[in-house]
Amino acid sequence: MDFDGVFADPNPQLPDPPPDADPSQVDQISSLTLEDAGDAASDEPTAGNESPPTNFHSERNPDFGNTNRDADPSPAEQMSSLTSENPGDAAGCERPAGNGSLHANFYVGSNSHHPDPKPEAPSRVEQISSLTLDSSDAAGAKRSASNGPLPSDFYLAADEIEIVEEVSPVAGDTAGISALGGHGAWREGSELDGEAPPSPSSSGYAGERGSSGASSGIEEVDGPGTLPDDWSRGKRHFDEDDGSLSWRKRKKHYFILSHSGKPIFSRYGDEHRLAGFSATLQAIISFVESSGDHIKYIRAGNHQVVFLVKGPIYLVCISCTEESYDTLKRQVELIYGQMLLILTKSVNRCFERNPKFDMTPLLKGTDAVFSSLIHAFSWNPATFLHAYTCLPLTYATRQAAGAILQDVADSGVLFALLMCKHKVVSLVGAQKASLHPDDMLLLSNFIMASESFRTSESFSPICLPRYNPMVFLYAYVHFLDVMDTYLVLLSTASDSFYHLKDCRIRIENVLVKSNVLSEVQRSMLDGGLHVEDVPLDSSRRSRSLPPQLAADNTIPEFSLSPAITGGPSGLWHFIYRSINLDQYVSSEFSSPISNPSQRKRLFRAYQRLYASMHDKGTGPHKTQFRRDEDFVLLCWITQDFELYAAFDPLAEKAQAIKTCNRVCQWVRDLENEIFLFGASPFSW
Amino acid sequence: MPMGLASRMAANDGIQFCVFDSRRGQQEGQEIDKILFFFPPDSPFSAQLSVVGLSGGIITFTRLFSPDAACEVIEEERHSHVFYQAEPDIWMILIVEKNRDTESVWRCDALRDILKEVHSLFTMFNGPLQTLLDKQPSGELARSCLYTFITDYLTDFHVGKKIQMPSFRDCLKERRTVQMLTVSREMAIEVQSLANVIRSSSGSIACKSLILFQDLLVATMLSPGDTANMFAYAVLRLTPHALSSNTRSWSYLRRGVSASNVTESATLLNAGSRTEEYPHGSRDTSPGRHSQRNYIPRPLQRDKWSKGKDGFLVSDVRDEVHITPIVWLQETEEHMYLCVYQHRNLTIILLIPVSSLIDGEQGIALVKKQLLENASEKIAYVEEKISKGWGGENAYHVSGYRYLLVDSDRSISRASPPGKVTTLAKDSFLALNKLREEVDLEKARASREKPDHEHNFEMCIRAKNNAWIIAKIAQGRELYMVLEKANETLLYASEAVEKFSNRYCDGAFSLD
Repeated sequence: MDFDGVFADPNPQLPDPPPDADPSQVDQISSLTLEDAGDAASDEPTAGNESPPTNFHSERNPDFGNTNRDADPSPAEQMSSLTSENPGDAAGCERPAGNGSLHANFYVGSNSHHPDPKPEAPSRVEQISSLTLDSSDAAGAKRSASNGPLPSDFYLAADEIEIVEEVSPVAGDTAGISALGGHGAWREGSELDGEAPPSPSSSGYAGERGSSGASSGIEEVDGPGTLPDDWSRGKRHFDEDDGSLSWRKRKKHYFILSHSGKPIFSRYGDEHRLAGFSATLQAIISFVESSGDHIKYIRAGNHQVVFLVKGPIYLVCISCTEESYDTLKRQVELIYGQMLLILTKSVNRCFERNPKFDMTPLLKGTDAVFSSLIHAFSWNPATFLHAYTCLPLTYATRQAAGAILQDVADSGVLFALLMCKHKVVSLVGAQKASLHPDDMLLLSNFIMASESFRTSESFSPICLPRYNPMVFLYAYVHFLDVMDTYLVLLSTASDSFYHLKDCRIRIENVLVKSNVLSEVQRSMLDGGLHVEDVPLDSSRRSRSLPPQLAADNTIPEFSLSPAITGGPSGLWHFIYRSINLDQYVSSEFSSPISNPSQRKRLFRAYQRLYASMHDKGTGPHKTQFRRDEDFVLLCWITQDFELYAAFDPLAEKAQAIKTCNRVCQWVRDLENEIFLFGASPFSW
Repeated sequence: MPMGLASRMAANDGIQFCVFDSRRGQQEGQEIDKILFFFPPDSPFSAQLSVVGLSGGIITFTRLFSPDAACEVIEEERHSHVFYQAEPDIWMILIVEKNRDTESVWRCDALRDILKEVHSLFTMFNGPLQTLLDKQPSGELARSCLYTFITDYLTDFHVGKKIQMPSFRDCLKERRTVQMLTVSREMAIEVQSLANVIRSSSGSIACKSLILFQDLLVATMLSPGDTANMFAYAVLRLTPHALSSNTRSWSYLRRGVSASNVTESATLLNAGSRTEEYPHGSRDTSPGRHSQRNYIPRPLQRDKWSKGKDGFLVSDVRDEVHITPIVWLQETEEHMYLCVYQHRNLTIILLIPVSSLIDGEQGIALVKKQLLENASEKIAYVEEKISKGWGGENAYHVSGYRYLLVDSDRSISRASPPGKVTTLAKDSFLALNKLREEVDLEKARASREKPDHEHNFEMCIRAKNNAWIIAKIAQGRELYMVLEKANETLLYASEAVEKFSNRYCDGAFSLD
């Protein structure tokens, strides 16, 4: 028996070539048919081929040609069409493709006519040998080069790229991209950074007030109907693949692939052209698995490759951002959660039926959702804190909002959420139902990143992975007239559209009448807590209410002079997390950390601090003090709360500690305004 | 077909140790030629190839993204693979198994230090591996040297029948550093004058020397790197402790040592016959019968050194030509004869340039004779004075503190005595080990971002067992500390560091 050189095969056969990218969608359908037979056996034979896709949420994919953006089929009609075709779909098990809001069912449904004559499981030798990377790269590149022109919908998704680091080996094939680019040019910002510049106002704690208003000029326009930011429009750098130097230099890659090595999602580059690379990742994972172990990560210089295996789905992050393993693992877990939110875990069954199942079509059109989640990994503390945040409002206002939500919750709505961007205005759950902060993060990201939710009321099947990863719930989403404020009503019943619509009308009426919406708007404009307002001593507590919460709108007296240096004792920023409430409050960024790169640096420092405090083996620790060239960081964890505070690196220890105590006291004084109390019992 | 994957850790030793040359064995079917050393030596080929295959694949893979720094660690649920690129094409891989018990927690950089230590000690006695491979392209010579050397080295990690790598409990130690004896100014002058006498006693020959008291360095004439290597070797095999204790703990950097299994393994040297088609089954990649095993010097073999009547240590470490062992200094790229003189607790390592002695052993004898004549009195005097002033094994204990102080520029460290360190709670060790891991990453990050910049960094954690776990980097020095019986306020902990810094570190870690 010859050992045939585990890694040395110069001509590896890729285990699982991707479906060829085809020039038109019709062709794509037939090619997919050949690839993915078998899995469609249970699908309705005629599902969606002659008629438009049965998507409730009709405008989810504005960039893709087969959705008629202007058509406005009545949601009711759509709903009834699905319910009549798929009774019992609520379980979501048999038909992840049946997620009406995706076009996937369109493709998958057509497969049943064309069973795959030769389903082949990839042999291990093939998988292993493809670890010879240089050659597999080459193979991958060649493969894509021979793919011929990409389908037109691909072109539409890839926009003009201002900065081209390197001419990709397959540039010839994609020459038409810029010509076809339908939308405005991407703003490249800080590339090759690879991450969109954090957008201050989308972060929710941008200092919009005069005291810290050194805005950096990349602020998004928040007018209704405008796109939130570049990242929300979906994938960038579509013309790159693993052969491109620019692609390799991206700071943070995320991949989803199937256990047979088929690419499902890549943050950068076209999945189909990354088939060879994807096969390599699969080979690494399966090589280790075959020895009875599981790979967690690889570290090389400042690069880290993090692996996560979730049944037939493999997730990989390649990062040189110096984030810790725990942080990156948490991020790929959230990406997996986002995928489940769209498809439910029952997508696994497709792989049971056909290991070579191609999942890409199921996620088609959701690039923006993933991009926006990935963007959140560099600005949204909820991504590592396991907590959500509320929009600051007076107690009475939040009570008013809560009361009307409670009304509808009593009438068969599972969860009712009123949100403003990623911040909760109010939230109510049916008896005993509790909403996990991660689910809220993923749900709000899904809604905020899907442009189509903004244009009309929508009814869309979604899955809350922490609530129940196996089933779809039905989300009625409606954006209200106040910027980025939306109502989400979740129900288990697929026929609840009318009911939820009625609920929405009732809620909206009350919200308008009771001035909740105008208060929300005011709070958005005023921003949250400002470190400049931290009281210097406890006797001044009552005067230190943030302006939007104070009786009148006068600016507190300390906000003028310390604006240059932040808060007392060099306090620059803080995050306070209430453990019992699963909520956090984060101060606005003060002027010493006004620019995006400083904010990102602070965000990463917080992530490291959090990971260090919550180490699985030794944590949670009680206190941590950390000083480097950028910050003094203090963390304090008690039974009730966690405080993370950032100071000037020259801050004096004793003063910093005193200030932390004051911050805690201050937050407790304000808790009725900044936290949501009395929501449904949170008992996870 | 996939071979031996399931049996990658078949030989359940807890560790695997592999040295391979990524340029060799490029032809399909010849991959085994990559392997220069593998432990356990009786692992089946398939298991060995699996390790080299995975390592090589991951190295190539990581280079895609990180061309300048290829793979350092592969972390699996049950194993850690630690990589060290010893020479441009030579990789050393250590794979440690995580047992179910919670003792198998370690720091990757500490494990990598083992690889670095093996390689630098190997280079000290054999020269760079690449040179050996160039000298004999078949690789037989390199394999033979590595086999005996690393196997001998690993005997120091035997605990019972198992090999035990340093764990989280060793986080207040720093391998590859030198522990110095602190002497008074007056004593320092005496030591200096002794060093001068030693140098002048060899006449025109430019000898170099190191002076050790017990397991501590007193004086050196070598560069920091060569000093660290020579010191490590001395503590392993030359000092009075090392000579006298084959079975008990003889150095506070090393664990207890049991009888070596090298003799047993050495028979394996002749076991297999190297054929063109590597046969099935278990066959080690240790050198075959044609190796020049009789002439392979084994400087790390136990009991190779003993004290002669004249005070010089006699060695059995020899190659075919030389009786006196030869070492290779990295800094000057010079070959030196290694002569060791010992008087009670004082060990004097004398390095004589090979090039300066035309008459070899005769010349060495002459140098030795001159040393005895000129310096023995002075040596005895210095030894006596140091012994009198020596505070014993707890000399560097600071009450209330458990600490490690590292000066990485000079490769020096000082730590709380091992007997005191063991009093720490397990949770404190675990927390410090984790903290050190973070600091390792932070150091690497800082030096990548600003290589020429002096980094200052401070971390102070109150762990859940209420111990303060502290790390501080300032002026190129690192301080790690555990305070178990300390007040709960951060200021108290900071003050304790400040006091320590002012009293023992010339204020290097003091802030204000």
